[in-house]
Amino acid sequence: MLPFWRGAQVFRFASVVYAVGAQVVSVNAETTKGSGVPAYSHPTISWALIALLIIWSGLAGLVYAFDLAPKRPMVIAEIFVTAGLIASTMWVVRPEYYHHHQSLPSTFWVTNVVVSIALLWGPIAGGVAGVSFSVFSLAVEDQLKNFVTDATTPILLTVGVTLGIGASIVSRAQRQFELAVRMQAATQERERLAREVHDGVLQVLALMRRRGAGGDGDTAELAALAGEQERALRSLLSQQSQAPGAGRATDLRSRLQADLPPEVAFSAPANAVELPETVVTELLAMVRTALDNTARHAGEEARSFVLLEDLGDEVVLTVRDDGVGIQDGRLAEAEAQGRMGVSKSIRGRIESIGGTVHLDTAPDLGTEWEVHVRR
Amino acid sequence: MSDQGSTTVMVVDDHPMWRDGVSRDLEASGFTVVATADSVAAAGQRAKATQPAVVLMDMQLPDGNGADATAAVLEAAPQANVLVLSASSERDDVLDAVKAGACGYLVKSASAAELIDAVNATAAGQAVFTPGLAGLVLGEYRRMSNQPPAPDGPQLPSLTPRETEVLRLVAKGLSAKQIARRLDLSHRTVENHVQATLRKLQLSNRIELTRYAIEQGLD
Repeated sequence: MLPFWRGAQVFRFASVVYAVGAQVVSVNAETTKGSGVPAYSHPTISWALIALLIIWSGLAGLVYAFDLAPKRPMVIAEIFVTAGLIASTMWVVRPEYYHHHQSLPSTFWVTNVVVSIALLWGPIAGGVAGVSFSVFSLAVEDQLKNFVTDATTPILLTVGVTLGIGASIVSRAQRQFELAVRMQAATQERERLAREVHDGVLQVLALMRRRGAGGDGDTAELAALAGEQERALRSLLSQQSQAPGAGRATDLRSRLQADLPPEVAFSAPANAVELPETVVTELLAMVRTALDNTARHAGEEARSFVLLEDLGDEVVLTVRDDGVGIQDGRLAEAEAQGRMGVSKSIRGRIESIGGTVHLDTAPDLGTEWEVHVRR
Repeated sequence: MSDQGSTTVMVVDDHPMWRDGVSRDLEASGFTVVATADSVAAAGQRAKATQPAVVLMDMQLPDGNGADATAAVLEAAPQANVLVLSASSERDDVLDAVKAGACGYLVKSASAAELIDAVNATAAGQAVFTPGLAGLVLGEYRRMSNQPPAPDGPQLPSLTPRETEVLRLVAKGLSAKQIARRLDLSHRTVENHVQATLRKLQLSNRIELTRYAIEQGLD
């Protein structure tokens, strides 16, 4: 918003120069040419008023341009100063003159207060201020009968409304920008924390789990506890990384990375693999189902592997284990009996997001689910 | 004295607990840990002084990442084989380190036995191609193939269909032996395909750097 206010003060400076110029010309004028009657009844006081106008303009200009004081009281004071200066015309100038001349403090200078109101309170206040000051000024000059033909009203109305609209657009944009910056900072901080935890605590826990695994009673128990905490911490980090809203593209790679238990070998490209949030959710659930199935049926020794590939127009996700595999026909048989969780759950999920599944299994060759999702 | 007794290893990691733990594991299996380092600077100096056969490299160091450290070590000890050990969240860095000349990658959650096997393989000059590394390399080739080709100058290398097939199987966790059986190839041929993908990637790194330098007018 500040640039707007600064621009307005440039205009204010120009309007002061104009107001002083107008004063120099009118203060020595006659009411009508050759009448011999000076236009101003109190020229000295009118100069004092112009001095006030200059001082006020300098003060207000500095305050607005450099944000030196709260703007609201300044604008309210500006309303009274401007109205007072307009009204003073009746005091220092003779009616014969000001009834058909623009005079102190000049329409041009009055525009400043309309600009300030529009910048501070928006287009409606700006428009109302424009019309009010115009009507007040015409009333003082006894020119209300020329309301329709006089240019003052439409000009001040336009200035108030357009600047008000501009100002509210800018301040809305600025609020959104500040919000975005804050969110970004928060996300970065979250990621930094996750990284630190990952590096420090998780590594020590992993080390304890690894070194204690072969030990006796107490050591093995400590190792198991460390392993549990490692998993808990990982899932906490994965929940954190889900932060910004649904419906947006989500990085499947980082979600899998945080989600998969450490004993699963995960292979993926180095860059993010973005998919809609709903697709990512289904794929994560599918991977979990397949891994659960491996843990239950593939045998003690089975290891699991997850491969994520980004082919540009499609994403390929493979979940494989090197266990005992599923016997020929057993899957179809179980499916026919309606009690088969795996195949149904996995196929259902993938079909719901428009993907395809290929299952490759044979006795002693392990099980491999290959999922293709088009972008 | 076994073969392993003569294999010298340097461990680069800024976590003292991890460094000591891994060093103990290695010593227990008959390797000689000739140096440890906790920073890029120290890694470069000690590699120069001790010329280790294998360098175990952490990916995050106080004064740089694993790619910087790999470059520093290979400059100081050109015959060393660098094996990158990383926690799983640092994939960009791992790829950079491999492009800088590291010849293998292992996750820190790997078991002690897997670590020993990997160090042995690295000492023998074999690329330690974990599924994770294969996934990274595949992803990198696909990223390069999506870039617009440069009108002049050397083209970035790409994978042959057979190399892609082999890398995918590695990434899915199949061993070289299993791949050989599945594709009806010799074990040796599978190894050659795998190593070719790494060599071409290290080459592509130089091409990309050169191309970048020319684009920026630094020639």
